[in-house]
Amino acid sequence: MPTDNRRIQGPEISTPYCVFGSSTENEDEDGCFKSTDPLSSTRKDGRALLEHRKIYMKTGVVSQAKGSAYIELNNTKVICSVFDPREIPNRVEYSQHGELFCVLKFAPFSCTTRRSHQQDAEEKELSLNLKRALEPAVCRHEFPNFQVDIYVLILESDGGSLAASITCAGLALADAHVPMYDLVTAASLGVAGDVLMKDPSEEEEKLCSQHFERSNLNHGLITVSLMGAHTQITQVWQTGSMTTTCVSESLTHLIQSCEETYPIAQRCLVKSVVDTISKKKVPEQS
Amino acid sequence: MDLLSDQGLRLDGRRPDELRNIRCKMGVFNQADGSAYLEQGNTKVLATVYGPHQPRGQARNRAPHDEAFVNCQYSMAVFSTGERKNRPRGDRKSQEMSIHLRQALVSAIRTELYPRSQLDIFVEVLQADGGNYCACVNAATLALVDAGVGMREYAVACSASLANGEIPLVDISHLEESTGGPNLTVASLPISGQVALMEMSQRFHSDHLPKVLERALEGCKDIHRILDDTVRKHVEETGRASGWGQVDRAGIVL
Amino acid sequence: MVKSTSYLFFFISFGNFLSVYFIFQNDLRNDGRSKQDYRPIELELDIVTHANGSARVRLANTDILVGVKTEIDVPTSNRPEEGKIEFFVDCSANATPEFEGKGGQDLATEIGNYLGSSFASPLSFDLKPLCILKGVQCWKLYVDILILECGGNLFDAVSLAVKAALYNTMVPRVETVAMDGGNVDLQLSGDPFDCWRLDITNIPCLVTLTKIGEHLIVDPTAEEEECSMASLVVAVTESGRINSLCKTSVGSLHPQTLTDALKVGVEVGVGLNKALNEALGREEKRLQSNKPERFGFLK
Repeated sequence: MPTDNRRIQGPEISTPYCVFGSSTENEDEDGCFKSTDPLSSTRKDGRALLEHRKIYMKTGVVSQAKGSAYIELNNTKVICSVFDPREIPNRVEYSQHGELFCVLKFAPFSCTTRRSHQQDAEEKELSLNLKRALEPAVCRHEFPNFQVDIYVLILESDGGSLAASITCAGLALADAHVPMYDLVTAASLGVAGDVLMKDPSEEEEKLCSQHFERSNLNHGLITVSLMGAHTQITQVWQTGSMTTTCVSESLTHLIQSCEETYPIAQRCLVKSVVDTISKKKVPEQS
Repeated sequence: MDLLSDQGLRLDGRRPDELRNIRCKMGVFNQADGSAYLEQGNTKVLATVYGPHQPRGQARNRAPHDEAFVNCQYSMAVFSTGERKNRPRGDRKSQEMSIHLRQALVSAIRTELYPRSQLDIFVEVLQADGGNYCACVNAATLALVDAGVGMREYAVACSASLANGEIPLVDISHLEESTGGPNLTVASLPISGQVALMEMSQRFHSDHLPKVLERALEGCKDIHRILDDTVRKHVEETGRASGWGQVDRAGIVL
Repeated sequence: MVKSTSYLFFFISFGNFLSVYFIFQNDLRNDGRSKQDYRPIELELDIVTHANGSARVRLANTDILVGVKTEIDVPTSNRPEEGKIEFFVDCSANATPEFEGKGGQDLATEIGNYLGSSFASPLSFDLKPLCILKGVQCWKLYVDILILECGGNLFDAVSLAVKAALYNTMVPRVETVAMDGGNVDLQLSGDPFDCWRLDITNIPCLVTLTKIGEHLIVDPTAEEEECSMASLVVAVTESGRINSLCKTSVGSLHPQTLTDALKVGVEVGVGLNKALNEALGREEKRLQSNKPERFGFLK
């Protein structure tokens, strides 16, 4: 594996201190969700189980990029920039459809453990999922033989990073005036036992990816991205182990959350358009 | 450990001039233009040939205008060796093997028949037990024949060693390779008796070279016979299925 | 500049699309299969002697060889009681010249990642038995997948081969573990046949569902993949649980199609698992007979 010599390398073998933390905390978390009536119980951050985090979106945050967007879901913060189409490098054959080149990166300081500057396997997997989620929404036949570069940087990760990245990249693509069929919004959902949690945080995600000792309980995470106006699912990604009914039920919830996010994204775009027009008008009037 | 016991038998019970068991099959895959599978003892190799076709990618600029550009790639499955390999190709050893493979095969292929075209030969070692290079050349030859590529004659490779400082051994296994002892690899065109490639590791006195080389070339000839049989049998089988060589009552070939 | 070859290619795939589409009118495909039929599958176990377990699966024209090797490793600090499993996919240039050099790497990582996520849950594959000494030593399974020929439906074929190879895997038995200061002293069993086997009951099989026109089909051929609109890969266990789900190709799906596809996928997946288990049982019996014949690629 090639390493970047210009960067300061950490020690080869190191263990984050949080691993050695007391295990009592973990038990506490479990207790939180195993309450007798799961539907009425609230989560650590005070949300109900099927309550999405509050979302903040903004476009045009990176001035050098053709289009950019920023999204915040409490502690999950993602920034994305999209650049002009350019010819696909190192490609001799003609390709009928334009391509999306997606790079998803966690900032080194974004997680509890330090992330390396190079893309690791998890980031590559997420990049691919991001690409698959955006591809159906972009009119790729409009720029044959060209590729659009999409760079997503997760500034702070607290669960739902993939969902946030997809929504963010969708906004940035629209902001970059890349021809699209529809906006893409995404949402995530965690399953632990019989409890469904919308938009889980990092802690809750960890809980969902573990398996409770009581055998054959559902657990896992699902992320879905949706083109709101056409009700077309562009990507679905599930891990863990669930029954079919559980997956179907989760899907309905997820589609609902995606549809809820859709008008927010639309409003954000409208606002940016209105802003640009009003800015242009000011010098004319004066 | 001696390479040859007092009874004159080798570590795996073979006599000095005895080849390992060779089993092979042509036309293993449907999608490739030509393919072959070859087992030489415990060494198992797959070879495929694509082409001749229009030069692709980087070969576009490198392809000569009066003959075919032969492109070889040697790779080893990561589970093929005792210790797991980290990557299947791209390391120095495989690159060297690719170059040597190309050298041996180019001497047998009539490249002048295919100007402005490219010929891809890919070999994959599935299980390595010594003599990988030899098995690869032999399998590639079969695949080329299967693809119907014009050739002067078969390119056949065989290895030889020297035991007890005097007795030449043919077709070296991995155990004999690692026990130490010289290893002479020869790729030849056995009918015309030409040597296409010769490589040696470790030393022995130059007086021994003729007889070791002789043993290796003899091995090549034996292998050639086996490959030729396989080709004839294969053609007969495919031919019979499509009704070639059928004779009517008057003795006229249909 | 547009090259003539790409146009030719376009017409070929368009022609295929028509033929595939028309044949569907009678609920049969090009090759006479119904929508939920698989092509013939061949399976052979234990064909690479250097690996602890191996299997070769040939699904019509798709040829997969899997070797499993076990190595001793140190468990990760946040999962001290678990062993490790790693998937490595190698797209051999034998399959298509496009895979030469680094050509097949994207496809390889996609398959590897997806296998990883379908094995992630302890309900699909429990890593605890692979632990030798908590926090100090564990077994690491290297599952190496070699793609030798691509005739469509790689995911399903790969998962079948992986499950079969893991079934065939013999992990050496550790006789004694002693701590000598900071060093661990492992004593492996002297008998090479003294091994234990992995539990594969919950390992999922992947089922690819491809949407062509309004039809959902399983086990697409390369031509059918060419004219598909979207495909979905579902990891289904023997008991019908979904252990992973992912859309793999370009294109999108309506939610209703997705739920329908899931139902079909689970149904097909359960059947596939059952068929595989039966085939494994038969193959095992054959291998235990007096002098089993090894076919390999010679058949």
